Amino acid sequence: MVKSVGPAATTFKPQDEVDFVIVGAGAAGGVMARELSRSGFTVVVLEQGPYLKAADFRHDEYAIQHAALTNDYRKQPNTFRATEKEEAKPRPAVQYGRMVGGGSTHFTANYWRFHAMDFVEHSNGGPIDGANLADWPLTYAELEPYYTKVDWEIGVSGAAGSNPFESHRSRPYPLPPLPPKPTGVLLEKAAKKLGLTAFPSPMAIISEPYRGRAACVQCGFCEQFGCEMNAKSSSLATMVPEAEATGRCEIRPHCYVRKIEIDKNGLAVGVKYFDRERHEVFQRAKAVVLSANGAETPKLLLMSKSNLFPDGLANSSGYVGKHIMFNGGAFAGALFEHEVNGFKGTVDSRVVHDFYKLDPRLGIRGGGGIDFRFDYYPIGFSLDGLPLDAPKWGAEYKRMIESYYTRTTYALAHTTSLPVETNSISLDASVVDDWGLPAIRLTFADHPNDLKLYRFFLDRSVELLEAAGAMRTWSYPSDELFLPQVHLLGTCRMGTDKRTSVVDAYHRSHDVANLVIVDGSSFVTSGRGQPTMTIQALAFRAAEHVARFAKNGRLSSRK
Amino acid sequence: MSNTGIPRRAFVAASATGIAAIWLGVEWAGMRKAGNHAAASGLRQGELFETFTAAQAADVEAFAAQIIPGDAQSPGAREAHVIHFLDHILTHVAPETRPQFLSLLESFQRQVAAEHPDGKSFADLNADQQIALIKSLEKSKSEFFEAMRVGTINGMFANPEYGGNFNKSGWSLIGFVDRFSWTAPFGYYDRPENIVG
Repeated sequence: MVKSVGPAATTFKPQDEVDFVIVGAGAAGGVMARELSRSGFTVVVLEQGPYLKAADFRHDEYAIQHAALTNDYRKQPNTFRATEKEEAKPRPAVQYGRMVGGGSTHFTANYWRFHAMDFVEHSNGGPIDGANLADWPLTYAELEPYYTKVDWEIGVSGAAGSNPFESHRSRPYPLPPLPPKPTGVLLEKAAKKLGLTAFPSPMAIISEPYRGRAACVQCGFCEQFGCEMNAKSSSLATMVPEAEATGRCEIRPHCYVRKIEIDKNGLAVGVKYFDRERHEVFQRAKAVVLSANGAETPKLLLMSKSNLFPDGLANSSGYVGKHIMFNGGAFAGALFEHEVNGFKGTVDSRVVHDFYKLDPRLGIRGGGGIDFRFDYYPIGFSLDGLPLDAPKWGAEYKRMIESYYTRTTYALAHTTSLPVETNSISLDASVVDDWGLPAIRLTFADHPNDLKLYRFFLDRSVELLEAAGAMRTWSYPSDELFLPQVHLLGTCRMGTDKRTSVVDAYHRSHDVANLVIVDGSSFVTSGRGQPTMTIQALAFRAAEHVARFAKNGRLSSRK
Repeated sequence: MSNTGIPRRAFVAASATGIAAIWLGVEWAGMRKAGNHAAASGLRQGELFETFTAAQAADVEAFAAQIIPGDAQSPGAREAHVIHFLDHILTHVAPETRPQFLSLLESFQRQVAAEHPDGKSFADLNADQQIALIKSLEKSKSEFFEAMRVGTINGMFANPEYGGNFNKSGWSLIGFVDRFSWTAPFGYYDRPENIVG
């Protein structure tokens, strides 16, 4: 098991000008911290949430189910409106891992790569009304070495060659797939019947001992839980301790950054944050890396207004916060005759990518994948796992939870969602959080194409459940906006044209040479879920270029 | 749009209102302390409550026992000691909700008293009368009903250290087993003889 390294953790003083201050210790921030500190730079990572370790995590659904590891809306409210014409009302809108390790600590750990087509959605299908499609400024081929790096550096389990639709990979997975679960066997059976391919889910969970960590023992407490044995290859279990081991990286928890400070030349000089006691601290740095997630990153940029940047930092394009994408999807349930026991082991074990690319004759843009999963623990299932028309209490309700819990599986589709300019993260005009900072305001309405897409995937999900031999199936509405959302993508998109993107192809802000932004906000299009693998591949690539730029003096000027 | 990586329970929490919402969102540090306290408190059914009076406990327990009724075959909320879970939560985990919960409970008790001039409490009513009353609360989206539903389910299925789920009776009811490792076969369909090649 990985332990935090060293006799004494490295610390810096706020007045020390470190080489990099990184905002956010999640999937991207962890990679940036490890790579930059290994390259010889001094690094301070500021994290809003606590620094918990594997020993702090427990099998305790009651404790964990709400805001134990994620943002707490009572302290940091969100507001929501469907369109810019409406007044936003308080409502949980975005959820993120608010702790060292970020979302990678408590996520499900699905870790498939995007396919080559995900980077060229605009060229592939042309423009679409009401969406602001663009190609990424990099191709799958350029990112492939970094996907491979993620596989091997953090430890991803999977079977190379098992997904017939996967793009080229230069190296197999370092670890074999995790064992198939009954849900996965059922998906295989259904896929075979329908002429589709169910392949072993690539997971950021180690199936065999890897780099000092023990193999997953299938306890089943993955989604929303921190892994008690560090078998989940989170930033917390992998990148963060390796960054600390360099002796050049300090992880500083309970630090809530409120502003990136700029000098008169328009270069970043550090960040102001509230410490645990809510005192304001200024950490000096030669360069700032923003990896706070696709909602907190634009929020911080929009809060960092100055005379030089009256519309928010790095926002000359006006694109900061725009085009938020969540990955759409569909969700359906099914009851089987015999025990599925989905609560045992990882959340899912097989996935179908046959609908990754849709037949153009359907007239629907985008696509996605479908897996069979069970991610309910006893409280959550009893609150909400039954079909929507089931009784909510009483003798029949009891009979149903009693007979359904071990025999239910769900089909989850994870799809594209289009970048719509008016779908955005912005600062609420009146609601503030406990620190007096503006609440995140989400403006969001699904693009009509996406509603058709979600319906298509709902139908395919139900077909698969039926083909698997379900006794009954049920659907959840595919056209209802589901909040809060967890995939927070596209709000500081990358691109080569500074008029239509926030960061360049290397994640440097177009406007501020020593401001690097890398996390889900960098996405140009949404991919087809799940995004964390791609976030980390981007971070490995960004770190390599940023280290080179820093050594060549190209982070202090654009030359 | 459906969820793509978040359990629907978070959706329930996010859309809950009033006390139910607070009960679905308690913080980490306070939670651990509260859990330990429960383990140490040693309360048993029929013994003292920290928040409830005996009459309040009787009504709340009767209500919970209609949300998840026990019967000859399997335990329900009463048998799982949900009342002790609720007493514990109101005393130690979410004490900020105690005044509001007790006020909702009292107004519920006043409603029962108004409808039953014979002086019967909710706990005194027969099952049909109790069910009819809860149905009307559910229909009117009453905050007390929502709190009781969420509270009962939490108490039935939370770790026993919080005072409910007595002898893991909630978990046994639905077939959940809390263990630190599992190996294949996990269920019926992954047994070698059931995997169709």
